[in-house]
Amino acid sequence: MSTKLEKAMYNISALADLGQAITSEDAFHEKIQSVLYVITGTFLANKGAILFYDKSTQSLNTLTQKGFAQDDLDHLNPEELISLGRNKSCLIGDAPVMAVAGAEILAPIWVGDEFIGALLLGGWLTAGPLASEDLELLNVIANQIAIALNNHSLFMDLADKLEDNRRLYEEMRHIYHGTLQAFAAAIDAKDAYTKNHSHRVAKYSVAIARELGWNEHEIEGMYVAGYLHDVGKLAISNTLLNKVTPFTPEERTEIRKHSTLSRNITTKIKFPWKNVEDIVWHHHERLDGRGYPDALAEDSLSDGVRILTLADSFDAMTSQRPYREKMDVQSAIGELRKNLESQFDNKIMLVFCKVLAKEINGELPEPDILPHLDRNSDLSVISDLLEGIISELSAR
Amino acid sequence: MKSVQFSVASRLEGAAAIIYPKGYLNNLSGESLVIECGVYIGKGITKIVVNFSETDLINSIGISMLLQIMEDLRNINGTICCTNMSKFLSDTFEMLGLMQHMLVFPVENDALEYLKTRKS
Ligand SMILES: [Fe+2]
Ligand SMILES: [Fe+2]
Repeated sequence: MSTKLEKAMYNISALADLGQAITSEDAFHEKIQSVLYVITGTFLANKGAILFYDKSTQSLNTLTQKGFAQDDLDHLNPEELISLGRNKSCLIGDAPVMAVAGAEILAPIWVGDEFIGALLLGGWLTAGPLASEDLELLNVIANQIAIALNNHSLFMDLADKLEDNRRLYEEMRHIYHGTLQAFAAAIDAKDAYTKNHSHRVAKYSVAIARELGWNEHEIEGMYVAGYLHDVGKLAISNTLLNKVTPFTPEERTEIRKHSTLSRNITTKIKFPWKNVEDIVWHHHERLDGRGYPDALAEDSLSDGVRILTLADSFDAMTSQRPYREKMDVQSAIGELRKNLESQFDNKIMLVFCKVLAKEINGELPEPDILPHLDRNSDLSVISDLLEGIISELSAR
Repeated sequence: MKSVQFSVASRLEGAAAIIYPKGYLNNLSGESLVIECGVYIGKGITKIVVNFSETDLINSIGISMLLQIMEDLRNINGTICCTNMSKFLSDTFEMLGLMQHMLVFPVENDALEYLKTRKS
């Protein structure tokens, strides 16, 4: 794996660490201290401080810090920080405003139009300059802290606080997903023909899991697995991925490594969802045991794996590939049907057909599958086909 | 994910302190590692060996703790040796560029041998 990719994985896990620190049951002070450790550990900084702006006294209070002289922090002028503007991390360089001993980066923290505080970092252990991705990551983190600090400053009654924590969790998930999407985009960008493949597979898988009655946490794991199932392709050469002529046996072996690579990558992240690793690892297995990498069959395949294989194949068939045109939706469904029991699971197929039929009938307010299908599809033909499969599979 | 509560043990061997972190180095309980090292540094010890045989995993919080120890030792011209690291640990340190700032040995004894022969 390239160092750049490894660093990206480390950053993703750091975001997970941050979310955990912020949403933990710990008291506020411990929380904020964990947050500072996550940040200094992520940016390898030996100095860090989180400052909180107290509106009533118009002064900056140090919530937690390491490596700075407290005296220097006490001399910071909040007016000058406010004048730096909002929501942009900046390299302090020689800005006299921030001549705090050793601070090299400043991220102002705002909520809406309100200045809440600032995050200071400095004292890099490794000399390398910060990349623009690092500053972006710092912005994401500053936003997270903003919400945590805001909650702290409000100190509302218990009911409000619960509501707020829920919002905070939502927000964190949002950002977490944002990072995953950035990742998926990197995979899809590598392979020109699979543009948005990860996104669609994630959506389709979630639709099936929800229809199956999974709980929200499990559905979320399915979503993440959908996004990352092909992440191992990042380690496979572009030329091979975009090849127009059929693969040689050696090339096929090489391509087939991607599901194990995806697994190796995802195990490095301490996901809060248990099923992600299993699903990405086995997304090319088949019920008849003729899949890869482990030729697992039947009972060894979890529902999560069965969902992803179906969603993955359906999207692969309905999108164009270097070596073939895309299939229309009804032919793709026909293909799935033809390979029931050998490759795809009856129960999952039934659920997939049901949810797609519901989407076509307008029964679901937020369809996950339909918006991604070919606009020129004949929906009545598809509906009839689905009804046929539903009654056939329900009868079994 | 349940993990074993993090704890730290240590012992003195000649002029070197050997620190044994135990468990997943991923939350504030990791501060005990920094404190333990701080106690030895306070007593004038400048050579610290961290034996990671009972710590396979580390996250950004743990990295931050480790940075703190490295910084504390650097301020007194001390030496940090890391031994018995899992592949995950050494890969992570490598990727973050931390390896240049520490001495790495496969096992504790190698580090102790090295420190014995080296003048501080
Ligand atoms: Fe795949
Ligand atoms: Fe795929």
